[in-house]
Amino acid sequence: MAGSRVQKVGSVFSRTRDLMRMGVLRQPLWFEVYAACPPRREPRYRPARPRYGRARDGVRDIFYPEDAVRAKFYRVYGSGPRPFDLLQPNYKSTCQRFVEKYNELKEEGKIEEEKLFEETGKALLASGIILQRRGTDKVSIKRSENELASGLKRLHF
Amino acid sequence: MNPALLGVPAPAVPSTKLGAAGDGLLSEPLGHPDFFNVKELFSMKDLFSARVHLGHKKGCRHRFMEPYIFGCRLDQDIIDLDQTMDHLQLALNFTAHIAYRKGIILFVSRNRQFCHLVESTARECGEYAHTRYWQGGLLTNAHIQFGAGVRLPDLIIFLSSLNNVFEPHVAIRDAAKMNIPTVGVVDTNCNPCLITYPIPGNDDSPTAMELYCKLFKMTIIRAKDYRKQREGAVQGRPVHHGDAGPLEVEHPPQWADEKK
Repeated sequence: MAGSRVQKVGSVFSRTRDLMRMGVLRQPLWFEVYAACPPRREPRYRPARPRYGRARDGVRDIFYPEDAVRAKFYRVYGSGPRPFDLLQPNYKSTCQRFVEKYNELKEEGKIEEEKLFEETGKALLASGIILQRRGTDKVSIKRSENELASGLKRLHF
Repeated sequence: MNPALLGVPAPAVPSTKLGAAGDGLLSEPLGHPDFFNVKELFSMKDLFSARVHLGHKKGCRHRFMEPYIFGCRLDQDIIDLDQTMDHLQLALNFTAHIAYRKGIILFVSRNRQFCHLVESTARECGEYAHTRYWQGGLLTNAHIQFGAGVRLPDLIIFLSSLNNVFEPHVAIRDAAKMNIPTVGVVDTNCNPCLITYPIPGNDDSPTAMELYCKLFKMTIIRAKDYRKQREGAVQGRPVHHGDAGPLEVEHPPQWADEKK
């Protein structure tokens, strides 16, 4: 029985089909199954070439509107008072509670935009979560602000 | 691992075509796109809670995986689970058909963390596994390494398509050379080109690997059980439905011999 070991030309299916047509190969077990249910993309070999010029990949960044609030929270308060407990499936972190409270207060609409952040902090204090502001470390805050600002810029469409 | 695994002699006559009854036996499952109903074995929620959607960091991304990636959250790639569901259904369906036609299935994974899991999965469904160092000529030089008349696997399932140095596993290229179809779980740093039925998904989390192993095992056992039933019906023996005992077949099924 013949075979074709040229894996860079065509796919497994095309080579087998052509060998069968020539009459040098008996139909293998999987041929009919592949013909009935082919994959989404024919498994042809493709050389991995680098990108040139301005070509970019099509993978989007995932950002949510709440990320602005989260960025500010982490900048002001650092990582929250409590460590994350990832063993629980429905765990809600301090930051997540903050964000939810922020959105609630925003929907009510009674407080102005600038004061929303502080009001949320006070509301959380009232419900028992103590938030401690991060120590003023100007160099690290500046650098992290640049990174977060570039992230925030993408949100303000 | 013992290379005598693959030393199953080729059957003298392919026992697939048996005349009028045989034709119906093989062509019946092909009529329906999801004959073995593999879709019911998993759901989007199962995939999500098994952390199948988590990929590697942006720097590790392979160019050909970009169509399968949903997006990048803080530099970590997130795999598109809609596409994963679709690919997984195709792959499981193909596996089931191969198992139904009594094909030899070889599980390959070079991830040491899950080597035992893969081997025990293969043992439980009566198929084969190779999770150790892959010698160069196992497929391409089989007739010399194992002797004449070796039957090569009809399907190779990669539960991790990279080897220990993060390069594509040699068996992917060798299977393409030997015209053997492959099913493989491809993570964001893998090359899905040569894999016949790729499944974009996480291959590093224990929960994800356990899910894949469970799904493959269930499909293969389901397909084999259905085949037993059909053979029993063709031979005229009563088919026991809902019995706790094993189905009576005249000759012992070929895959009952656990050659590991």
